[in-house]
Amino acid sequence: MGQRDPPRAVVLMLTYITRRIAQSLMVLLAVSMISFVIFQFMGDPVLTLAGRYATQEQQEAVRHSLGLDRPLHVQYFTFIKNALHGDFGLSYVAQVPVMKLIFERLPATVELAATAMVMALLLGVSLGVISSLHPRSVSSRGIMTGSLLGISLPTFLIGILLILVFAVSLHILPSFGRGRVVSIVGKWRTGFLTLDGWRHLILPALTLGMYQLAVLIRLTRGGMLEALQEDYVRTAWAKGLSPRVVIFKHALRNVLIPVVTVAGLQMGELIAFSIVTESIFQWPGSGKLLLNAIYETDNPVIVAYVMIAAVIILSINILVDILYGVLNPRISYD
Amino acid sequence: MKRVVVLALLGLLAIGLVGLVGIAKDTIVVAVDAPPQTMNPHGSDSDANLSIMANLFDGLLKRDASGTLLPALATSWERMDALTWRFHLRQGVKFHNGNDFTWEDVKYTMERLKIPYPVSEFLAFGGLVASVETVNGDPWTIDITTTTPTPYFDQNLHQVFIMDKESTESRSIGEIGEQPIGTGAYKFVEWVKGSYLRMEANEDYWGGAPSVKYAEIRGITEPSTRAAAIATGEVDIVQNIPVELFDIVTGNPNLEAITAPGRRSIWLGLRNTPGFPASDIRVRKAIYMAINEDEIIDKVLRGHGTPCAQIPDAPTVGYDASIERLPYNPEMAKQLLAEAGYPDGFKIKFTGPNDRYVMDEQIAQAIATQLAKVGIEVEIDTKPKAVYFPEMDEHTLDFYLLGWFDGSFDFGRSFSKLLHSVDPDAGLGGLNGAEYSDPALDSLLEASFNIIDPALRADALRLLNRVAMMEKIAIIPLHYYEDSYAVYKGRGISFTPRPDTWIVFSEMSIGN
Repeated sequence: MGQRDPPRAVVLMLTYITRRIAQSLMVLLAVSMISFVIFQFMGDPVLTLAGRYATQEQQEAVRHSLGLDRPLHVQYFTFIKNALHGDFGLSYVAQVPVMKLIFERLPATVELAATAMVMALLLGVSLGVISSLHPRSVSSRGIMTGSLLGISLPTFLIGILLILVFAVSLHILPSFGRGRVVSIVGKWRTGFLTLDGWRHLILPALTLGMYQLAVLIRLTRGGMLEALQEDYVRTAWAKGLSPRVVIFKHALRNVLIPVVTVAGLQMGELIAFSIVTESIFQWPGSGKLLLNAIYETDNPVIVAYVMIAAVIILSINILVDILYGVLNPRISYD
Repeated sequence: MKRVVVLALLGLLAIGLVGLVGIAKDTIVVAVDAPPQTMNPHGSDSDANLSIMANLFDGLLKRDASGTLLPALATSWERMDALTWRFHLRQGVKFHNGNDFTWEDVKYTMERLKIPYPVSEFLAFGGLVASVETVNGDPWTIDITTTTPTPYFDQNLHQVFIMDKESTESRSIGEIGEQPIGTGAYKFVEWVKGSYLRMEANEDYWGGAPSVKYAEIRGITEPSTRAAAIATGEVDIVQNIPVELFDIVTGNPNLEAITAPGRRSIWLGLRNTPGFPASDIRVRKAIYMAINEDEIIDKVLRGHGTPCAQIPDAPTVGYDASIERLPYNPEMAKQLLAEAGYPDGFKIKFTGPNDRYVMDEQIAQAIATQLAKVGIEVEIDTKPKAVYFPEMDEHTLDFYLLGWFDGSFDFGRSFSKLLHSVDPDAGLGGLNGAEYSDPALDSLLEASFNIIDPALRADALRLLNRVAMMEKIAIIPLHYYEDSYAVYKGRGISFTPRPDTWIVFSEMSIGN
């Protein structure tokens, strides 16, 4: 990349970020269009909303009051116009503004995903390092076998097994729900501040983070095995540095770049797609909301949810790219 | 490393043990299979939601645990003529916000039913109401007139919940959907969507304060989680135990499993358009006789169901105990098919839901196997209910599975929707998925519309039912659902299931 003077780097970075944001907006527009069109074919909400015994005329009245009797492109442009004003309409089922509904449920999902991710990162990196130091030892093999299970077992099976063992048989952890929550800022209810909240969090977070944990173990281990063979690590050993410095400062630091990237990218997915875990543990998050919305043909909720998920994933991607540069100064943003 | 693991496990255990606290004895927690959808009592006509609303609101009438219609906000009622119903209203009732219940609230409620989305899913019922007026200026006696003679008008009033005019008019639809204000035995405390709905006993309830102080509803859609929740004692009562987990629940010494005959019948609709094989009554009989219902109940439902011979259940007006199932007889079925000109059978497409009724998809497969034995080749097409039910409205199916129970306990109403010839303008045959049509049955139903005397009307509907089931084989009945519940023992909870599966806390108690 050659010599760079700081101002130029900053300018490059800013143009890069601007370009990424512009691209993301295009992606969002495409997502909105696709989801809007797809969900038109998900079933007709009017039949439920008019009631079981409604006549055709009454059904048409409902269709009209929903605006579903207008041409699709008109509906879409109205949707975009309202969305730009932050108005995503009312949920068909709850008759409550969609954004309110989703933001009420998002904290539960964010807390679950964050706990799962932190757990996966801490455990994943430490187990990965341990198993790379003595790759042939029994404990390393144990860890690797475990991670293989973590990758291949489906989430719902892990969840149900954990419930069976810890809730039904051992009676030490609750089987469902979020436990006692405390209201903090505005509508944000947190389970982090009560013991009961933490007890309810353990099993779902473990279930949700299991796949990530397994991936991070393998990623860290692979990277470490490679790094430990590198000349600069050999030199570090030869210099007589303490194992802690060699392992963590020299080897692990370089391994962390791909690990952080993967973890970051997965964070978005954890938030957006925690559906299975939430439905097994009856976790009152937004994934559960999405699932119910799909069952009930609650299209405004589905479309808004997909949009929010897209925004979260896109912003995390941008953040990860920036973080990548911070961790590894050799990367430039041309 | 080992020490870390041990410490972590000990930590987990400690957190677990500290948290083992009993559930307070003044609360009953019920896990239901469908979470509340909205707190707007007219915003959903699903039984799951009405069940919950019945605790917070009252109708003019109510039903007791056996399904009998009783006075509620009306102390008595009578049908004056074909169009007019008179109600004497209960005095001294207050809404939870302190407002008095008056006839204006009844009038307001009836008008609100007519407003389409996002206000009401009771458009059909609202459309029946022509006027609500006081009689001779007495504000406690009102006449409700209907647009057409509606013999089952009163049969619906237990699920039409009366709202407070003042607070409903002054609040936004979003607020109404979250903060209910009713006259019911329980007052709203808190609804954390996706988690729980908490209610508190209304000490000033006109029917006397309920004995259970706090009531909590938890919607748990995942069946295995529901079973785990009661197994661990985190909830007191659980509704709808999945058949595949039933034996585990009955085997648990802490739990008492309760089953009750369900109201919903599962049956098969079948096209009779001229030219279609099943337009021949012999083919209809053959299909009926080729289905081994006992085997379906035994193998697919694991014993949790009872065979049915008609759509309505016993408490429904029009139910006729003399109707019997055709016997299972595949030989006779083959013979009938041969007589009808199908010695080698025929091909037929079967459509059904795969996420709606107990074991719905497996039932479809069992039927396909059984019909194959008499030469009928069934092409199964099962799909999610969100896709399936709209197809029903298009009347394009040939052979389909449906579950039905009528909240208004009236077979006339069910028939008009399910089997009357499709007539969108008259609102008839809306859910007649295979556009079944029989002029004789249509006229039998239409004749019952104008009969005012309830006993004569019941006779007319029984006749319609008998002709439809025994002569015409309008549908092929399969079985009634079995409702199942589990109660956690040792907490002194008394709970009796209702045929409508509603969870009514004022009927429960906690003893010691």
